[in-house]
Amino acid sequence: MSGLKIEQIHKKFGTTHVLKGIDIEIEQGDFLILVGPSGCGKSTLLHMIAGLESVTSGTISIGDRDVTHLSPKDRDIAMVFQSYALYPNMTVRENISFGLSIRKVPQQEQQKTVQRVAEMLQIEPLLERKPAQLSGGQRQRVAMGRALAREPSIFLFDEPLSNLDAKLRVEMRTEIKELHHRLGTTMVYVTHDQIEAMTLGERIAIMKDGIIQQFGSPREIYDNPVNQFVAGFIGSPSMNFIPCSVISMDNGHGVEMENEAAKFVLPLGRSEPALESRVGKTVLLGIRPEKITHHRASDVGSAGIHQASCRVEIVEPTGPDTLVFVKLNGVSTVCRVDPDQAKKVGENIDLMFDMNRAVFFEAEKGTRIC
Amino acid sequence: MVNQGQSSIFSRLAVYGALSLAALYFLTPLFVMLLTSLKTLEDIRSGSLVSWPEEITFEAWQMAWTSACIGVDCGGLKGYFWNSISMVVPAVVISTMIGAINGYVLTQWRFRGSDVFFALLLIGCFIPFQVVLLPMARTLGFLGLAGSIPGLILVHTVYGLAFTTLFFRNFYIAVPDELVKAARIDGAGFFTIFWRILLPISGPIIVVSVIWQFTQIWNDFLFGVVYSAGDKQPITVALNNLVNTSTGIKRYNVDMAAAIIAALPTLFVYFVAGKYFVRGLTAGSVKG
Ligand SMILES: Nc1ncnc2c1ncn2[C@@H]1O[C@H](COP(=O)(O)OP(=O)(O)OP(=O)(O)O)[C@@H](O)[C@H]1O
Ligand SMILES: [Mg+2]
Repeated sequence: MSGLKIEQIHKKFGTTHVLKGIDIEIEQGDFLILVGPSGCGKSTLLHMIAGLESVTSGTISIGDRDVTHLSPKDRDIAMVFQSYALYPNMTVRENISFGLSIRKVPQQEQQKTVQRVAEMLQIEPLLERKPAQLSGGQRQRVAMGRALAREPSIFLFDEPLSNLDAKLRVEMRTEIKELHHRLGTTMVYVTHDQIEAMTLGERIAIMKDGIIQQFGSPREIYDNPVNQFVAGFIGSPSMNFIPCSVISMDNGHGVEMENEAAKFVLPLGRSEPALESRVGKTVLLGIRPEKITHHRASDVGSAGIHQASCRVEIVEPTGPDTLVFVKLNGVSTVCRVDPDQAKKVGENIDLMFDMNRAVFFEAEKGTRIC
Repeated sequence: MVNQGQSSIFSRLAVYGALSLAALYFLTPLFVMLLTSLKTLEDIRSGSLVSWPEEITFEAWQMAWTSACIGVDCGGLKGYFWNSISMVVPAVVISTMIGAINGYVLTQWRFRGSDVFFALLLIGCFIPFQVVLLPMARTLGFLGLAGSIPGLILVHTVYGLAFTTLFFRNFYIAVPDELVKAARIDGAGFFTIFWRILLPISGPIIVVSVIWQFTQIWNDFLFGVVYSAGDKQPITVALNNLVNTSTGIKRYNVDMAAAIIAALPTLFVYFVAGKYFVRGLTAGSVKG
């Protein structure tokens, strides 16, 4: 059964065209992430799914039911807002049961639900407090609790963790994931944090300027980005984009590189038909930092792996790895190396380039070549 | 360093000095009024304006309340006091209620042209009383409310709406939209959201609106003198008539007592809720 189906949704505020034809379909029980830079229309889309914002054109169905023109209360949804939006005059208990009392659920059942939710989120000691007496993390839990009190056919989250500190954010992320496994309810989750997107999502829709750039599983998006924007948006540190010219070699294609010390060629170790017409022209090589590593004897001679020496410009230890910045073809390039193998600034380091997962984009437009 | 300490003491002294002078300036008339109202007529004639009364008497107060002559009717201010009360209370309640709903609609249920509507409404705050006198007289006559207390209630409610709407709109604009959106998802409708979410957090601004409207309406003279007649006049008009009704001798003590009686409710409101007024005007949005 379909969990959520969005077809050709457009949204205009006056003359500004915010959403330009959004199509998304997910199965019941899926966890969908809407991710993109600020102002790309994520919240607008989520509010339209909730019925808080009217659609300019297009249709929205939740669980095989066309809800395009239904009011929020008839859509069978629950939502957690970015600002939590707890009712300031009500206690936590009243906040959680408000929706139930509006829907005329019997008092006894309301109390049972509050109890169930409070246990699930471990907020029982807070039940009689007002929102102003809660910390940010506690408010966030109460906001979740209010959504969980009902058993909706879809949960909507609008950046629910963005106001929390880094540690709490990671904890809550895990909890939300667990919750999703436990409840099995369809969830739509808006974030601008690509790590949240990667860790939580089963399906990720990457938005920019009111258009979905790519819609797929985290793996697909990470390994096979459709354009330079998606490639750069997902992954931290971001993918390196190095302008370089393509050359033809005996065993396929290669790209020319230049640093302070020397010119060298990175062979792909394979032939890419799409690159054939671009031999001698400039393209953008996309290579992730973890594909440029310290010298590993075991990799020497493997297909598509090539070693070159570069001068270290910046060193950033992160703990498990150290990020080393070198200059290739004039652009600063990040490499992820073992902390023990990192060199000091100004020294030369032997780096191994794994070209097997390298991707190529058009130099200007950023569209994917191969 | 030493200098700084000294200059801070000096500037403090200057501030307190100026404040004390201002307080003296505003309180002296009230003090003289109070003093005079407690004197007998002979006392007033023989002593000076600020001399202490020979004997303190509440006769003048008694007279002002029950038996002073206002025009041909010698029943004191009593009836007119209740006129004012029965005009002010409904007018304040109604204008505050409607102002709250207006503010709610203008911020949380925007409609096409709501900004223009609000701008037009703001002009209402700046229309001088005189401009509306004649049209309003025609309107009241047309509605059959001329010369009655309900007529005055209507006038004050309409005139006050611009202000109350402004107060509530500016208060509710700071309430996060998401609060109302959350309530809509919880299934609450227009009035449920108003009653159960917004009104309970509106305390500070309700106080502001009530104080403002109460003082404005209670102190109004112009509308009262134009749109009411005879024993339906508010106390401000009656006070004027009392002072101007000559019964041979001029009873300054009664005039003063009457003036204080007329001012008492606004003073009372100020003392009880004055501090909430400032607090309410500066109250920010909701934490939650
Ligand atoms: N009521 C409105 N009237 C006019 N423009 C609006 C309105 N609401 C949103 N917009 C515009 O629509 C665009 C998308 O806004 P939206 O809130 O959906 O962005 P977002 O992706 O959620 O961003 P963020 O990550 O900052 O929350 C923005 O450019 C915004 O200015
Ligand atoms: Mg947003």
